[in-house]
Amino acid sequence: MIRSIVKRDGRVVLYDESKIASAILKALEAAGEGNAADAARVANKVGERLEQMSQETPRIEQIQDTVEQTLMHEGFENAAKQYILYRAERTRIREAKTSLMKSIDEITNVDARMSDMKRDNANIDGNTAMGSMLQIGTAGAKAYNAAYLLTPAQAKAYREGDIHIHDFDFYALTTTCCQIDVLKLFHGGFSTGHGYLREPQSIGSYAALAAIAIQSNQNDQHGGQSIPNFDYAMAEGIRKSFARLYRRKLKEALEDVLGTDDEQALADAAVAAGREETDDEPRMQLNAASFDAAAAAALEADGRLSRAQAEMIVRHARARAEKSTDRDTYQAMEGFVHNLNTMHSRAGAQTPFSSINYGTDTSPEGRMAIRNILMAEDAGLGHGETPIFPIHIFKVKEGVNYNPGDPNYDLFQLSMQVSAKRLFPNYVFLDSPFNLQYYKPGHPETEVATMGCRTRVMGNVYDPEREISFSRGNLSFTSINLPRLAIESHGDEKLFYKKLDDMMDLVAQQLLDRFEIQASKRVYNYPFLMGQGVWLDSEKLGPNDEVREVLKHGTLSIGFIGLAETLTALYGHHHGESDEMQQKGLAIVRHMRAYCDKKSEATHMNFSLLATPAEGLSGRFVRMDQKRYGKIPGVTDREYYTNSFHIPVWYPISAYQKIQKEAPYHALTNAGHISYVELDGDTANNVEAFESVVRCMHDAGIGYGSINHPVDRDPVCGYVGVIGEVCPRCGRREGEALSQERIDELRKLYPEITTFCGCR
Amino acid sequence: MTLKTNYEAKYGKGVGFERIRRITGYLVGTMDKWNDAKKAEEHDRVKHGLVK
Repeated sequence: MIRSIVKRDGRVVLYDESKIASAILKALEAAGEGNAADAARVANKVGERLEQMSQETPRIEQIQDTVEQTLMHEGFENAAKQYILYRAERTRIREAKTSLMKSIDEITNVDARMSDMKRDNANIDGNTAMGSMLQIGTAGAKAYNAAYLLTPAQAKAYREGDIHIHDFDFYALTTTCCQIDVLKLFHGGFSTGHGYLREPQSIGSYAALAAIAIQSNQNDQHGGQSIPNFDYAMAEGIRKSFARLYRRKLKEALEDVLGTDDEQALADAAVAAGREETDDEPRMQLNAASFDAAAAAALEADGRLSRAQAEMIVRHARARAEKSTDRDTYQAMEGFVHNLNTMHSRAGAQTPFSSINYGTDTSPEGRMAIRNILMAEDAGLGHGETPIFPIHIFKVKEGVNYNPGDPNYDLFQLSMQVSAKRLFPNYVFLDSPFNLQYYKPGHPETEVATMGCRTRVMGNVYDPEREISFSRGNLSFTSINLPRLAIESHGDEKLFYKKLDDMMDLVAQQLLDRFEIQASKRVYNYPFLMGQGVWLDSEKLGPNDEVREVLKHGTLSIGFIGLAETLTALYGHHHGESDEMQQKGLAIVRHMRAYCDKKSEATHMNFSLLATPAEGLSGRFVRMDQKRYGKIPGVTDREYYTNSFHIPVWYPISAYQKIQKEAPYHALTNAGHISYVELDGDTANNVEAFESVVRCMHDAGIGYGSINHPVDRDPVCGYVGVIGEVCPRCGRREGEALSQERIDELRKLYPEITTFCGCR
Repeated sequence: MTLKTNYEAKYGKGVGFERIRRITGYLVGTMDKWNDAKKAEEHDRVKHGLVK
């Protein structure tokens, strides 16, 4: 008689035949054969068999083996299969739990510098309390999601590195990113969920609330947050600031000239006259002549001032108001950049991942916003550090800012000076055909904008009337390990495409499965994104409504990395090396895009193709593939797979050739893309050279691009620029100390160095 | 002892240079937060010349 059993953890517990019977009954029910009586009979037989086998206390695995055998022996073959599946599933979940505990152990005890896992996302500081807590949550969510939310085939593909489900920790919780139309959000005020904010009335408040909007929405989604219309939005704040300042400066000038205490009434009368004349508030430049003439006439009518005095007062008031507005705008933009680099989101572990798009507003206020945000970026943070956030994206458009004579050409020029120093702005090219097709002059929502690393949302099969960037974003994205498909095809092109189609089927279904989870959430699950009407059409929903329909404005994206390694594995060399391979590469990517288009048509969901950025992923796939296939030259012999369709970073090629090779892929990757050119420090500082690269990108039909160059900083003397072995300003090498005398000398030469930030 | 170390650090002893590079479209503070694969990629990057 069996009295006790040994559990997996070594504990001995009483043998309970009814537990075995109930497990068997579940298997019988799943197989659709047998009943409770059969279950009891089989359980009894299991007990008998165990007794015959050995005198020792049986272990749990032994009992399970015996259950399998007895079911087979008793003719319940399907139930036996079900039982085996159930066991395998339990094993998978148990192993996930064990590896979860190991992960938590690593997160808790290992220095982030020693742990690649803790540096998976470079924006989270894995050494801090909140960063670690976030990573523990991530590890727990991933274990749960893999065990319970994926089908076995999806789980296998994800686990073994056929695919990568990005932001997998948030799989069951939310969507990726959104372009926040802050103008719409500000009108009438909004609530952050922690307090209500009235509609802002000055550029300072516009900038402050823009940062708060980004921060609030960041807590509702797992990706980056972006403002697609930064210049247009800040322009409205500048208009409000200028109108206020015009009135105030008028009052002050009147008091100075008349020697009186309070001339508010007269100033108001003058502004009222101007308003009546122009049907508008006082504006910079636009209605200046007619507004000021009416205001001056009103001042003269008061009787204490001559016509000439009245005109002079108005002229001075306007000039001072404009100057003050400009100064306020600079401070607001400086504050905005500082805020986005210091304010915390996600339990304090991250600064918000933010982007701002601008460059096309040609109004005087819009131009003032663009100039000042560029100057604030140029100035850097408190010690002259290069700001990490927001990502600046300058929208390039012929007729607006691209050519000499265009109204914002000067700002385009300024943007390149800033980018040559600070790496931002990046450039989005509205003239590229796949962007131009959406562009309607006077409708900023039709201008392509980017968010996060590169995400782009424009086309809309769900609602073709709304092919816009505002208030939309990506829902989820999953990337395919393209090089592995090529390696496993052993040079057989047909087989490769067959494998690619199968993998895309798997990914498309996984994206749809995840959509089901996302779509069944309610507005209250996204209090800011949906509750405040940030997402398109969400303002039409009540707090308890399902978000399914409005989410369909978003995109489901299929990504890929390592086109270069894929071509090398399949054909022997990559697309940087020959035009033939370029054609092969384009054929693959065109094939993937056609799949997405077909899927969109069939489902009325926005499937799109992503040139995957691959931060953590670039190492994950190749590590697994090295283990499987060894180091294949040009394929798996480095620590990373090449970013999306890029020419490999180590391959020598001119900037112009690289741009020409990569541009056609931009047209195909409608979920987002970016091309980089690497310049050395001297070339980057040559604005003409810098501009020639940007113009080359524009003319080649690049969608989104940026120029990389080294930006170094010596925290001791504050020098920003290229530093080789020796700092060109203070002459020290890394780790060397300066003498007190040398520091005093430097301080005289560079008074902006007020404190030394070397005490970390 | 700690005090002395910090005092020296003020003048640069043990203080490295900060190196900011673009990672995948965005920047990160300094490269010490990058994962190993991206560090290797950055190491391999070659500059692109401007000849046509």
